[in-house]
Amino acid sequence: MTSMVVNGKRGGQSLVLKGVDPETCMIVFKNHWAQVVKILEKHDPLRSNVGGLGGGHGLGGGGGLASFRFGAIPGDEASAVQNYVEHMLFLLMEEECGQNGAMGPILEFVVMENVLERLFIWSLRREFTDDMKLEQLKMYEMLIGQAKQPLLHHKPVLKPLMMLLSSCSGSPSGPSSSAVETELVLLLNQLCCVLAKDPSVLELFFHTSEDQGAANFLIFSLLIPFIHREGSVGQQARDALLLIMALSAENQVVAKHIAENTYFCPVLATGLSGLYSSLPTKLDVPSEEWHCLHREDWQQLPALVQFLNSLEFCNAVIQVAHPSIRDQLVGYIHNGFLVPVLAPALHKLTLEEVMTTTAYLDLFIRSVSEPALLHTLLSFILLHRHDNVHILDTLVSRINTPFQLGTVSLALFRTLIGLHCEDVMLQLVFKYLIPCNHMMLSQRRVLRERDCYSVSAAKLLALTPSCCSPEVIPPPLRQLDSILWSKGTDGSHIGTMESKEVLSEEDDCGNSCVIGSEIYLDVSYLDYLCDAQNSISHCIRACCVWSAPYDGENPPPEEYQRSTLEEADLTATPGLLELEWDDSYDACPTQPHPEEDQETRPIPDEPPKHIQELRRTAVMIVKGSYIEESEFQNDVMVYDLVAQKDAHDSGNGYHAPSKPTEPAKQEVLDGPVTDQKTANSESLMSNGLSSPLDEMDSKKRGSQSEHKSLEGEDLMAQYEELIRTLGAQHSSPAKADGELKSPTVLMDDEEDEIDFNSFSPETPETEKLPSPFGTKPRSGSRGHAVPFTGPFLSVLLSRLENMPSNSLHVNLLLTGILAQLAAYPQPLLRSFLLNTNMVFQPSVRSLYQVLASVKNQIEQWSANNKDFPELLTAAQHSLLARESSLRADRIKKNPTIQPKTVVPLNETEVYATVLFTEFLKELAAFAQEHSILSYPPTEQ
Amino acid sequence: MTVYHNNSSRSDGEEQGGPGEQRSSPAHPPFGKKQLPSIPKNAVPITKAASPASSTESANGTHASYGPFYLEYSLLAEFTLVIKQRLPGIYVQPSYRSTLMWFGVIFIRHGLYQDGVFKFTVYIPDNFPDGDCPRVIFDTPVFHPLVDSVSGELDVRRAFIKKKKKKKKKKKKSLTLPPWNLNLKGYDKDFQLFKSKVVDSVKLCNSHLFDQPKIDDPFAISFSPWNPAVHEEAKDKMFAYKRLHKDYNKGPLVSGLSWVKPGSTQPFSKEDIPLQT
Repeated sequence: MTSMVVNGKRGGQSLVLKGVDPETCMIVFKNHWAQVVKILEKHDPLRSNVGGLGGGHGLGGGGGLASFRFGAIPGDEASAVQNYVEHMLFLLMEEECGQNGAMGPILEFVVMENVLERLFIWSLRREFTDDMKLEQLKMYEMLIGQAKQPLLHHKPVLKPLMMLLSSCSGSPSGPSSSAVETELVLLLNQLCCVLAKDPSVLELFFHTSEDQGAANFLIFSLLIPFIHREGSVGQQARDALLLIMALSAENQVVAKHIAENTYFCPVLATGLSGLYSSLPTKLDVPSEEWHCLHREDWQQLPALVQFLNSLEFCNAVIQVAHPSIRDQLVGYIHNGFLVPVLAPALHKLTLEEVMTTTAYLDLFIRSVSEPALLHTLLSFILLHRHDNVHILDTLVSRINTPFQLGTVSLALFRTLIGLHCEDVMLQLVFKYLIPCNHMMLSQRRVLRERDCYSVSAAKLLALTPSCCSPEVIPPPLRQLDSILWSKGTDGSHIGTMESKEVLSEEDDCGNSCVIGSEIYLDVSYLDYLCDAQNSISHCIRACCVWSAPYDGENPPPEEYQRSTLEEADLTATPGLLELEWDDSYDACPTQPHPEEDQETRPIPDEPPKHIQELRRTAVMIVKGSYIEESEFQNDVMVYDLVAQKDAHDSGNGYHAPSKPTEPAKQEVLDGPVTDQKTANSESLMSNGLSSPLDEMDSKKRGSQSEHKSLEGEDLMAQYEELIRTLGAQHSSPAKADGELKSPTVLMDDEEDEIDFNSFSPETPETEKLPSPFGTKPRSGSRGHAVPFTGPFLSVLLSRLENMPSNSLHVNLLLTGILAQLAAYPQPLLRSFLLNTNMVFQPSVRSLYQVLASVKNQIEQWSANNKDFPELLTAAQHSLLARESSLRADRIKKNPTIQPKTVVPLNETEVYATVLFTEFLKELAAFAQEHSILSYPPTEQ
Repeated sequence: MTVYHNNSSRSDGEEQGGPGEQRSSPAHPPFGKKQLPSIPKNAVPITKAASPASSTESANGTHASYGPFYLEYSLLAEFTLVIKQRLPGIYVQPSYRSTLMWFGVIFIRHGLYQDGVFKFTVYIPDNFPDGDCPRVIFDTPVFHPLVDSVSGELDVRRAFIKKKKKKKKKKKKSLTLPPWNLNLKGYDKDFQLFKSKVVDSVKLCNSHLFDQPKIDDPFAISFSPWNPAVHEEAKDKMFAYKRLHKDYNKGPLVSGLSWVKPGSTQPFSKEDIPLQT
């Protein structure tokens, strides 16, 4: 069998053949062929002699095959032919080119005698089974892969090959066996390699196809079904297709053919949808710390691996293919995958599903690199609206979700910010800063100033909690080291030359002598400086492609403001009613803005003041709840409070918002999301009208009862109970207890959140198409009257303010994202984050203010906990150990020494304190490095 | 560091000078090469802010540990500012050993001191920016009403009366002040004598141009006669600098993305998607 040829002879006989003269080979070949011909002719129904079977016999279609079958062929004859063919093929393969690239004598003979075509017909005459196909495919695979002279230029070689391929394409006997597929793809891959090396063959392929009446560019069409195949077959097919894609970039005909006559792009793009649908809708989250899909995670999920393979392939195609193919593919991905599949998936009903989709989206963005594909993904996130809300706004609002959806969303934004994409940063941050409304008018002038005298850096570092002051912390945590701080030349040698005596004396008397003294410094700060320098210069370089410097002058604040307002007016803003989990909601429902509230938030009855206050507190504690004020009906609230109470009872105390116990979590998760959906649809209908609240109530109750096992009749009682508990807590914020902080902290949020409420109705809609018509002024459009730095920055800062109660990994994410932002060189952002001297509008919360608030919380906490210093030291040790184990992980799996005392991770304040101190250093380092790096990079 | 001085082809418009090769020292982040056109642009006024020392005294501890960093970065920021202001004909370079000592050279392009090349050293007090003004001392005492004829120290105080921070700029101004505006004993009447003394002084200074630097420091400025073997390559590099810089921006390191049309504030407003492949 040919398989024997393939397997057995590659190594062995080539050695034997060496030294055998070509003439002998030719004689052997001819002899073999003569034997074969004898057998062939014996069974040839037409009894034609040489090359009798021309091209016109309709071999291509499967239908014609039967006519050649003529009686059974004895097995011994068949195997005799195979043996001869084996040897012949081998001789052909080994033959060198003739002089000046002419055919070698054997090849010439093959071409003259039409050997290959006759062999193909012979195999057709026998049962054309998968085995026969396999045999033929392998034969060509071997010939093409190993022949020492080009074969495909010769029609008598090419034609039977194409016939074979067409017989594989439309096989009437149903799908071919996997062995045939494997071999077919291998052969196609090989052909593509030949094409890539020698594009002149391409013409031949096209023409031969026409001869056969088969689909144009058969090789390509045959590969398409394997695009999304898993395993090595799929990989080979994709590799082969990529070679053709690269060809298309050079060859207009190929590009046109693929774009216009094949289903390549739609198959590729919609295949993504298919693969996506087989991904798990809920992930088994390994730990609470988990927030994004790492390689170790997705490699465990074959479906995800397969999806990523295909996505990677799309990325590669877009990279190498002709622009027409690229554009088509990108379009199909948008319309065939992102909009119909991913958008709804991002809006599923349970938190776990939504979280999973978010993690997928994050992974997808991290997996692609081609600008055109990123463009598609990002424009989907930034511009596409699902249920009339931009995906971006939904994603931003989810940052404030407690539970893992919040952290997974944070991780997604970490990815987005890391792209250094102007469009993303514009929508996320800059469009709110461009109008410069967040700062006092007088400050615009100093917007571009750098921290030349390290004033901001010093102010940031001065926020270091007293318990973490460099003097307090013992080594090795305090990596102090002496640095020789020389203040002049060493003074050892003052110039060797003799010159004006006066000058050298002058030098001696104080200018360049050793003033240097040893000063103990926080050495770790040098690392922060170094890191800051790297990330700032990287960011500066990356932002070179941006359209504007965002320096308070370009884009001009006034212009942007106007256009934003117009745009905001243009569409009927659905406002925030559809936004889930928005901080602006739960933040401050009791601070209604008179007109706005009457418009959009019908409040049935004004509850007593203390209830209002309580509600606010409660809502703020249960940050997970999505509640628009008007929707904040008793049952929802009670429900949340109950969940909250459960969390309290199970011992998590005031940490509940960020890490509730499992049962509470489950309940809360399913509950509010559904409520919110109901609320959404309701509020959409009733936006601006006073809605039938009772109906809404009943609906919500209905939806809740589906999802919860709580007895409805107990709700009011529990509500009452909770009011008492929480109210008591709230009224005595001075308790020396872990719980005391939440009301205080959250009340601090208050001023911040007021403007959220009032501004937000305008903000999500700023990127509407410009109006061709005049716009009518919108009543209550206070979008720019109330300073606002945008939902993203506000949510980040509000979560940062909760640092002491956030878990370690949340804080790592938050500080990581802020550090990413702090690296951006644009004066608008740099001044907002790092200039501690800037004067902002009273309603705008600066990073510095938030940090100061965190410092105060920490100081209070440490003052009230006498074992705090020990805990702190232990936490520092375990963080150091964590870091070194992470480093070891990166190099090799090598367990590092665990610290003796491990501070439990639920001691969030302790870890937050350590992290906070380090974060201050990080920010100060950014401020300092900006002061010397904020110029276009000069030569390295 | 070597700075060469091409006497023959010096013009007012373009000055050649600057570091030929940048050495990195542990304490100094890499600076860019100084490429100074003749006209200063974008001189950014700096408002005087409270110094970190005074603002953070209350926060005990932090300042002690980080104070040197503040000083170092204030000096580096000052230096970057000097680079950015592109003062024509003035080149400075912090010393290798300390950022508190800068080496400088000034090429005078017109006026009485035309063709003078004066090297100087700037000593910055270690309580910068709060302390006394820096001292500027010429290697060779130039004959100038503001320069001490013995020590070579330039009287910079008058420039620092109000705005201490602008020392670099002021320094230059004070050098080019028309001397007849000053009350110089003896010379106000005999301007010709003054002029001839100036010319002599310029000659004297220029005759010492190729002397070894006064202070032994790797970053000290030293001149040597034009030697193609040494200088040609550096000169070519310098002229190729602009192009290099462009390429550098286009290099693979550029990872940012933008589809915002210049002048627009809408995302994805570029009509033609630029494919940065």
